[in-house]
Amino acid sequence: MAIVRRADPVDLAIATAGEAARSARRGRLRRWLPISIGIVLAATMVVVAAAAPLIAPLSPSAQYADAVLKGPGAADRHVLGTDEFGRDVLSRIIWGARVSLEVGLVSVVFAFAVGVPLGIVAGVLGGRVEMLIMRGADMLMAFPTLLLALIIVTALGGSLSNEMLAIGVALTPNFVRLSRSLALTIREQDYILAARALGSGQLRVMARHVFPNALYALVVVATLYIATAIRTEASLSFLGLGIPPPTPSWGNILSEGRQYIKCCPWITTFSGLAIMVAVLAFNLVGDALRDLLDPRLKGE
Amino acid sequence: MLQYVLRRILIAVPMLIGAMSIVFFAMRVLPGDPCVAMMGDQATSEALADCTKNLGLNRPLAVQYADYLWRSVRFDFGNSFRQGYPVRDYIARMFPHTFVLVMASAIVAALVGIPIGIVSALKRRNPLIDYPLRIFALLGLSMPVFWLGILLLIVFSLRLNIFPLIGAGDLDGVLAMIGSGEVFLYPRDFLVAVGDVLHHLTLPALALGFTLAATVSRLSRSAMLEVISQDYIRTARAKGHVERVVVYKHALRNMLVPLLTIIGIFVAIALTGTVLTETVFTRPGLGKMLVDAIGARDYPLAQGAITVFTMIIIVVNLVVDMLYAVVDPRITYR
Repeated sequence: MAIVRRADPVDLAIATAGEAARSARRGRLRRWLPISIGIVLAATMVVVAAAAPLIAPLSPSAQYADAVLKGPGAADRHVLGTDEFGRDVLSRIIWGARVSLEVGLVSVVFAFAVGVPLGIVAGVLGGRVEMLIMRGADMLMAFPTLLLALIIVTALGGSLSNEMLAIGVALTPNFVRLSRSLALTIREQDYILAARALGSGQLRVMARHVFPNALYALVVVATLYIATAIRTEASLSFLGLGIPPPTPSWGNILSEGRQYIKCCPWITTFSGLAIMVAVLAFNLVGDALRDLLDPRLKGE
Repeated sequence: MLQYVLRRILIAVPMLIGAMSIVFFAMRVLPGDPCVAMMGDQATSEALADCTKNLGLNRPLAVQYADYLWRSVRFDFGNSFRQGYPVRDYIARMFPHTFVLVMASAIVAALVGIPIGIVSALKRRNPLIDYPLRIFALLGLSMPVFWLGILLLIVFSLRLNIFPLIGAGDLDGVLAMIGSGEVFLYPRDFLVAVGDVLHHLTLPALALGFTLAATVSRLSRSAMLEVISQDYIRTARAKGHVERVVVYKHALRNMLVPLLTIIGIFVAIALTGTVLTETVFTRPGLGKMLVDAIGARDYPLAQGAITVFTMIIIVVNLVVDMLYAVVDPRITYR
């Protein structure tokens, strides 16, 4: 006679409970780990940029004649080495964070402030206004972001504010398109009908009903565009069209270090690493926010 | 269908004109007189006036604009300020280099990106596979192509000395040999030249291809996820097919259709990438030509390069839209 041990119901319950807890934990980890890493990195960048004068060990423009093109060393004065003028690479990268973050934030705010109202107006009003706005956006969309920013920066000349403006304009059509498509779905909702029935005019509908309901998705996407803006800024500076030296920006540190990759690869390596980490941080936060808050955007 | 094609062309034409207008007017607001830039601050006012007249810059803006549009249609972008040769010739010389680079990096991106996208879609419940692939995709998206290029140069050109540091090989020679039929007379020389071109192409194509692979893998992941949830996949499974057959015979083919639409985005990203890649690898090409022209304030050359970039992007998008209509008859167009 075979002895079959029948599972105790209590045992079973415990097993499933343990399993469920583990998979829930895994789910939570899966959900929160990337965003935590992203937020920590992004917050670090913000703190470093804001506190650059306090954190940077040396002045970013001070030239140390005794330490030209010196390699990185923890024991020395220059932890990440120096460049061809004997300037401290670490200090320059810390100050460069300011430029990247400033350009990243201001240009996205600009694109948001210009693009979203236009997109909502196009989506809600429809008709000729929509056609006019959308054809304009399409025309700008024909240029890749970097190319458009490059044209504008060339036209206006390289400076911090021009770079912000150029990247802002280059990103604007993206916000126009997205906010229009959100407005198109929102305007069909019952609450919009209700608001109109209560006598709300177009402007009130747009400002009080469409905009707040689109805000969630727009903010998520804006985070992702900060990453794009930072990368575009670095690319422009790398091409020598961004902020003119000696103001340090990650792109121009990298560009200047390019001539010395044979002897002194640390200049390009560390400045490029800074760019990558910053872009990665905002990509992680944006991605994770999108998955958490707005699954509708997943396909974008 | 025909109506759809015509409509798309009709939409593309004003877009092209609009984009070209943006280029024209942006170039005209440029601070600094091109003639001063060319002749230097010490030029006499007569010489400057002469130069302005020669370049046609003294004509009314509207006339210059109309002239620019009409010439652009015929690919006539005037003469380079610096060297004096027609811009069209430069573009014709540089185009093959950029074309080869875009194609090679597209191959790298497809070979790396599509399998990664498929695997990460199919194995999304397995963290040991999904996580590394997602990390790869994120790194690729975040890594600037110029930095990756420099890292590759440091390792493979400077340290290991396997690949050349600058240049593109004798692509012009290869094309000339094909054109003149010398390929058949001197097949060995031809192969050597092609090998040299490929040797120069490897690192740039890897750098650009890797950064593009991230985008491709993301898009193919979402395409695969979409296909895998379709009813016909469930039917295939219900019929008792093993998973491999379901994936290869049913899912993969259908996944490629949505992938087609990304070619448009892909070309746009790749062309932007060539501007940076060619600069890093000191490779001749449209992108490097554009950057050099802007640096030298050679407006006709810069204008020509940007116009050609824009034309390529708009035309590729147009073609892709049409291909999409041909490939997927389920889609109806308004």
